[in-house]
Parts: sequence; structure tokens; C-alpha cells
Amino acid sequence: MTLVAAWRALRRNLMRSILTMLGVVIGVAAVIAMVSVGQGADASVQAQIASLGQNMLMVVPGATTVGGVRSGWGGASTLTVADAKAIEKDCPSVAAVSYIKRDIAQVANGNLNWSTGIQGSPPSYPRVRDWPVVSGRFFTGAEEDSAAKVAVLGATPADKLFAPGEDPLDATIRIKNVPFRVIGVLGRKGQTSWGQDQDDVVIVPFNTAERRLLGTAFLGTVNMIFASAASSGEASAAEQEIKHLLVDRHRIAPGAEEDFTVRNMAELFAASVMASQVMTRLLASIASISLLVGGIGIMNILLVSVTERTREIGIRLAVGAKARHILLQFLVEALVLSTAGGVLGTLLGVGTAVLIGRFAEWPILLSPTAVAVALVFSGAVGLIFGAYPARRAARLDPIIALRHE
Amino acid sequence: MIETHDLTKTYAIDGEVAVQALCGVTVTVGDGELVAVMGASGSGKSTLLNLLGCLDRPTSGAYRLDGEDVGRLDADRRAEIRSAKIGFVFQSFNLLTRTTARENVELPLVYGGVPPGEHRDRALAALAAVGLADAAERSPNQLSGGQQQRVAIARALVNRPRLILADEPTGNLDTATSRDIIGLLRELNRSQGVTLIVVTHDPDVAAQTDRVIAMRDGAVVSDGRPPASRRVGPETSP
Repeated sequence: MTLVAAWRALRRNLMRSILTMLGVVIGVAAVIAMVSVGQGADASVQAQIASLGQNMLMVVPGATTVGGVRSGWGGASTLTVADAKAIEKDCPSVAAVSYIKRDIAQVANGNLNWSTGIQGSPPSYPRVRDWPVVSGRFFTGAEEDSAAKVAVLGATPADKLFAPGEDPLDATIRIKNVPFRVIGVLGRKGQTSWGQDQDDVVIVPFNTAERRLLGTAFLGTVNMIFASAASSGEASAAEQEIKHLLVDRHRIAPGAEEDFTVRNMAELFAASVMASQVMTRLLASIASISLLVGGIGIMNILLVSVTERTREIGIRLAVGAKARHILLQFLVEALVLSTAGGVLGTLLGVGTAVLIGRFAEWPILLSPTAVAVALVFSGAVGLIFGAYPARRAARLDPIIALRHE
Repeated sequence: MIETHDLTKTYAIDGEVAVQALCGVTVTVGDGELVAVMGASGSGKSTLLNLLGCLDRPTSGAYRLDGEDVGRLDADRRAEIRSAKIGFVFQSFNLLTRTTARENVELPLVYGGVPPGEHRDRALAALAAVGLADAAERSPNQLSGGQQQRVAIARALVNRPRLILADEPTGNLDTATSRDIIGLLRELNRSQGVTLIVVTHDPDVAAQTDRVIAMRDGAVVSDGRPPASRRVGPETSP
């Protein structure tokens, strides 16, 4: 009954009701669209970092000074296979270790060729990087020991060197003119958060790389060591253990510059999650302000409505309406306005988020929680901002209200 | 039906100057009576009607309606009394615009807690009783003044009140329509036994009633049968 009466009262001033509702529509739409954009960014940053391995620690050679010439980090060949094996053996918080040695080389298959990263790694590599082989297999310990001429392709060279539909498995490709048999293709891992294509790589056994492809000038050295912590809680402990071990092994004097750097992915992950959450909250709170403005619009128009309908209120009171009937009538009107605005705003917000995702190509994450919160919030806005006008209406003196022109 | 004892009402204007609208009114109205309250504007007749209709509370004095002391009730209890026992007819009809006659008549049923299933039939019956069965779905601005007042009377009747209070019910109507409306009110008083109090300054209207209470300056100055000459004499007012 009250709902029908409210609907009629709102329809009587249709244009006014729509304009009032628009405030809430825009508010709710802004909240939903902004939270979707924020959470989308959040999720994509998290996914990028997770693609590196959340429990991952990376050890790279540090800046060194050789005869007064300083090289940047990664420039020195100070890390060795022996370091990697020592980390695996002596650091209790480290679950598994792998390492790489890489260079850029030309790879050819028939008349197609592609310049890509050639990487030598032990068989532990896919497990430590959490990077599964999607077709075929990774090489075995035996193939590593015998320096077999087998290769596992990343997704990018698999695309570039083979025609669509052509199976790379068992094909023979030439790396630096040495023939290799393709035994597997890795899953797609995407870009790192700093924009590097992780899939642009061809992996061969470490011994094969050293002996047949990359030259023997720095035998036994590696470009990077990957260590995965036993759990994400142990990443910091693992970082300290690795530092102590390498300082010891490299005989670095106390206070001297270390010739390596340990990068802890778990910390990076936590920091970027924090940053994007702050961003999402900021966007949501800015959008909430427009919802608040929408609420003030409802209050404003209801106050006008109470004044306009003073006589109607007087008539209703005279024929037996109680104060709470009048209160309820105006509250329901406010609620109908705000929840209808909330529903329309949700549709508009979801639509806007999808359009932003499609045309601006931003990652969008529609969160049911955000939609639910925005809807509940819009209802609450109706109740809060409807309360004052409704109380004013309910407190009218019937005699004065009846005399009102 | 109605007993008041030494009823007074004082209005404070701007919280300072007190205006005494009623100073000690004691009246008794029996069941089924048809009473006119007459007086110039400012005589306190509308104030008395508001008090009798439980729209307002007296400053002092007692008011018993149907034996119940209603003078000190709070707003919600007074609303219940209005809903159950009292119907109002106003000078300016006071119908809800853009709402059909039937829906206007249903209004007291909505607040009187009558089951929604009965609203339509009872409203239509009340409209039929005032001779407007055909106009049920028309809105007030499609009706003449007399028809609007009939809708208002149907609304006053629909909850089957014991008391109907009419405040200048013919004030906005021409002479012929006035006579129809008064005729209708008289008829309802006779046939349904509803107590009817009409506030008016029109002697012709008063002449149609059984008893005239005259007021001046917030007090009752005379109470008795209407002047006989007015009851049967030819129409003299414009």
C-alpha cells in the first residue's frame, strides 16, 4: 500500500523524481566503475608478480669494481653453480634452487628465424619458477649430464618459428647453427611487471649451453640464481640465509659492498598489493562523495515535497493517519528513489566498467561485493537523507497543515 | 455523545502574546443530534470544532466523547479516535488531487485498519449513498463543487463514524447546491442516526438544523432551537 502510494507520488513529478534519482545513479555507478578499475589494476599487478613466483628469491651478481671500472648490477660474473648448490644444501628456509645462464642468439626453423634469449638451466627450472610445460616434456637429469642437444621453447618463439597448426614437438631447430630437437613447449607466463616478455626464451640444458652455445669463457658462472622459499612466510628468513652464505663464500669483508643482490618477490608482492589497495580505496572514497551528493539531492527534493504537500498531510492526519504513517510514507518515497537509483546506477556502473575494459583496455575486475555494498549504501543514503524530511512531515500539526495553501 | 466542561484554548503567538480563542465552553450534544454552531469569524467556533474533532487539545477543561475523556490524549491516540469515531467535512472539500473519488473515499479505511479487500466495496457503497456511484473513477478536478463536497461527505461516512463535524460545508457553494448538501447531511442524520455538528455563519443553513449554538468572543452566548421564521421563510439571502 505505502509502496504504491510512494510510487504514485513520485510519478506525479516524474521529471523531478528522475533528476533526483540521477544523483544516486551517478554516485553508485561511479563507485562501482572506480572499484572495478582499482581492483582490476590490483589483480593484474598481483598476477604479474605471481607469474614470477610468489615465494621466489632472485640472486643476481651485484655491482663490482674491477680496477676502478664499476659495472652495473648483473654485469659481473660472480655467481657460480657452486653458489647455487650451496644455497640448496645450507639454507633451511629454501625449498628448491635453480639457475640460468643466458645470451641472445638467432634461432631458425626452416626459413623462419627469430632472435631470442637462449637460456641454460638445470632440470629443476620449471618447478622452481612454477612454470609448467604444456606440451611435451622438460629435459631430464640424464640429458643435462650428457649435454644433449634438446630444447624447450617458450610460447613466443613457438609462435614465431612455427606456422599456426604446426606441431613444434620433435622438430629440429638451429640455434647458432647447431641443430637441436624440440622436446617441449612452456605455458604462457606473460610480461613481468617491468614489461619484459618472459615467454621469449628457448631453454636448453645448462651443460649444453655452456659447452655448445655460450662459450666457455666464464665456465661455471651463472647470470641468476632462483631460490624458492619453503613458504611465503619464510621468504625473509631465506633472504637472510642466502646473504650470509654468499657473504661467507665470497669472502666479503664486513662493511664492504656485496658483489650480489638478493631480490625478494614476496616483499615486492606485498608492497604492490598495498599500493593498489590504497589506490582502490582512494577511488572508492572519491566516488562515495558523489553518492553523498546524491543523498543531499534526495533530502532537498523531499523537503520541497513536504512543503508542497502540507495540505495533503493535513488531510491524511484528519482522516486518521498517525504520525508514523506519514513518516513511513516519506521514508518509503526516499527509499524507492534511492534504491531505484542504486539499481540503475549498478547497471550503469557495470556497463561503464565493461566499456572502460574494452576501449581503454584496462584490466577490469567486477566485484560482487562492491555491487552489493553500493546497493546497500544507496538504500542507506535514502534512509539517512529521507529521515529528516519525513520527520518534519510527521510532526506537522494537522490544523496548521489543513490551513496551508 | 459529547460533553465539554469549561473548555478553554489559548494560543501563544510568537511565544509572547496569548490569545484566548475559547474561554470556558460547556456544551452537551446528545446521540443523533443535528447542531449548528454559529458565530462571526474569530468567535471561536472553528477552535471549538478542532477540539471536538480531536485535532487539537484544550488548554484547560474537560472533553468527554462517548464517555471517554479524550481531552488529554496524545497525538497517536487522538488519531485513533478520529479514525474510529469522527468524520470531517471541510469548506474547501480537502480532497487529494490527481486521486480518484473512490481512492479519496478509501483513505480513512487505509488508516482505520480495514482489510484492503473491503476498501473498494465500502468506498463504492459510500459514494452511492451520496448519489455519486457513477463518478467513482473521476478525479476531483473533473467534478463540480457540489459533487466534490459529496465525495468529501462519502469520505466522512465511509468508516461509519458516530460523529460528523462539518466546517462551513456550504461556504464555497452556490445557494442551490448548498441546499442539496445540507439536505444530504440532514438525510444522513435522520436515516443513519449519526450525530452532526455544522459550523456555519449562514442563517439559512442553521435554520435547517434542530439546535443552534451561537458563539461570540470564545464563549457560548445562546443555545436553543433555531428561529422559527428562518425555518420556513422564503429564500432571502443571495
